[in-house]
Amino acid sequence: MPREIKMPKLSDTMEEGTINVWRKREGDPVKKGDVLLEVETDKADMEFEAYMSGTLEKILVQTGATVPVGTPIAIVRLETDSDQEMTAFLAARGQAPLGASAPPASSPVTPVASPAAPARAAAPPSTPAESPRRPTKAVPAPLPTPTESPLAPPAVRGEPAGAVSHLPFFLPDPDRVRATPRARIVAHEKGVDLSEIGGSGPEGAVLASDVERYLESLENQQDTLLEGDVHATPVAVRIAEELRVDLARVKGTGPGGRVTKRDLRAHLEREAREGPSRETELFGDEIKLSQKRKFLIRNMVESKKTAPHFYISMDVDADPMRSLRERLREEGRHVTYTHMIVKAAAAALERFPDVNATFRNDRLVRFNPVNIAVAVDVQDELVAPVVKNCQGRDLEDLAQAMDTLIRKAREKKLQPDDYSDGTFTVSNLGMFGVENFYAIITPPQSTVLSVGAVRQVAFVESDEIRVGRRMTFGLAVDHRVLDGVRAAQFLAGLKRILEHPDELLASNAAHGA
Amino acid sequence: MARELRIEQLGRIPYAEGLELQEKQVEAVRQGVAGDTLFLLEHPPVITLGRRADPGHVLLATAELRARGVELHTVTRGGDVTYHGPGQLVGYLVCDLAARAATDVHGFLRALEGGLIDALAALGLPAAARPGYTGVFMAEAGPRPRKIASIGVGLRGWVTYHGFALNVTTRLSDFAAIVPCGLSQVVMTSVARELGSAAPPAAELDAAAREAVAGAFSARFG
Repeated sequence: MPREIKMPKLSDTMEEGTINVWRKREGDPVKKGDVLLEVETDKADMEFEAYMSGTLEKILVQTGATVPVGTPIAIVRLETDSDQEMTAFLAARGQAPLGASAPPASSPVTPVASPAAPARAAAPPSTPAESPRRPTKAVPAPLPTPTESPLAPPAVRGEPAGAVSHLPFFLPDPDRVRATPRARIVAHEKGVDLSEIGGSGPEGAVLASDVERYLESLENQQDTLLEGDVHATPVAVRIAEELRVDLARVKGTGPGGRVTKRDLRAHLEREAREGPSRETELFGDEIKLSQKRKFLIRNMVESKKTAPHFYISMDVDADPMRSLRERLREEGRHVTYTHMIVKAAAAALERFPDVNATFRNDRLVRFNPVNIAVAVDVQDELVAPVVKNCQGRDLEDLAQAMDTLIRKAREKKLQPDDYSDGTFTVSNLGMFGVENFYAIITPPQSTVLSVGAVRQVAFVESDEIRVGRRMTFGLAVDHRVLDGVRAAQFLAGLKRILEHPDELLASNAAHGA
Repeated sequence: MARELRIEQLGRIPYAEGLELQEKQVEAVRQGVAGDTLFLLEHPPVITLGRRADPGHVLLATAELRARGVELHTVTRGGDVTYHGPGQLVGYLVCDLAARAATDVHGFLRALEGGLIDALAALGLPAAARPGYTGVFMAEAGPRPRKIASIGVGLRGWVTYHGFALNVTTRLSDFAAIVPCGLSQVVMTSVARELGSAAPPAAELDAAAREAVAGAFSARFG
């Protein structure tokens, strides 16, 4: 029978875990002892190993999500499992078999820990009656999926406003807390929220001494480690995290202006009364970005803000490249257009060292090596591994180096060194049918070559209409480094090399040897 | 369960070498050909990012870090951003929790904190754990929490690696390059800073810290 993999309990005190990364993908074969995924709890990161062999049939909880211990996170199909068994097993869990898409109503578990995610439209309202009885992150069996958990925000689209009963059970009405009159007076004077205090009196009533002790403990934890000037009691911080309430938007009335549980309650009540905010209507689920993606975004924005881009393009005759590829194939050597373009770019950059340069501290600085970054899409992630020291290397050598890097990229094994220190970038969208485009320059580089698809064209030569193949090369240029004329000379030089296969085959084009 | 802890004193080794060392040790422990080991060492300046680290917590550009001779590594351990450098005592604890019948990750983190707190006590410094914030802080509360040691652990199966970094004579200004562990209101401190004028010369203090840590961890894990 297929096996469910559940979020492991790595500690008696572990209530939930975060999936840092899946090391296997759906459909991957799995051997006992293989690392399936990395799970994080607190400051420990465990490489979780398969305890059976088979196939990773289905990932139920994606990378980046935090779910309670015991939540099913994946399904492994054993070798002995028949198709029917597998389909029945998945159907019983509301999942479609691998390859088919699951119906929306039973889509995989949504991450609960994306910071400040707005209310999910699909989340049913959680009422106190439905809620488990524990005011913590722990979720008792049977496990609800996180979207049904009591932690879902109370304001839900389509629900009429004003329903105070939708407030989570762990935000009780402070007036209903048992306390002695003396405790109420002290609490009132100091702005203390009685519902945050565990009472030591009869039937859990809060005593004045409990309030004093609580105030003392607050003094000792005066820093609540929040960004900005937000102050909140530890209980409020915890609850706000769970409900994904932005504490900066909550008015604090507790000791020292801290946000208390009571304030959170008031805030949520108001939101419930006034209905879901406009933002909640407009914005849906958040998608967590990888570290690399965030770096990339920052770089691209920085580039467009600081480097004045201009763009030129040129058509290149693709027939010589095509016949060279055929010729080499007959010799049993495999080269691609991208291989040839990288080789040509390396040779052209050697001839035009001013292109292999950057603007730095009000100076133009030439790069020492020619390091060519090749943009590759790997599982929806853009990476640009860098072929280092391209100068003087022959086509075959460069092709090999490039293939090694691209293989590493596909296997997600690139080291930071493999994608840093590029001095020029080649981006090829030709295989996707794009005819021409201009990529954004990656600082500190000053140019990026964008390669379009090979297309058949009719052209006029010696008063005759002929048929041939062309591809369009777009070049984005940092105007601080190069002027139009220099950029045009470089692109023309590149074109010439690509149209003369002998130059592509030369091992040391730059020195004319 | 009785299980010995071997303590291996190493000098200053590059971060990558430290990773390799742990890798080998983890495999050896898993195969049952090696026992639990605590490596005590130092690293040249390096910033490491845990799996879920926010790159925004590295405050200098990669190029600038490189110019200052600081490496950047992404590693499979819990936690956010950490800095290692000269004067910081790094402890890599490769430990088979299953063989110790102590398969509790949080328990292990608390034991690391306990070992460091004991070691600091031996050096005359009162330190404490802060519930909810793994690591070791100075016990007496100032305006801001002062963090003296960072903790981040990786596990392959139930064998641990990585461990802790205790600031002994660390140049604290180097932490300006990061937001330690993503806690922007925490200030980093060191044994030397906390001892103030009572601190012996750096070399002597480094040696004393190694001895205190070795003693405390032998007592707790030996």
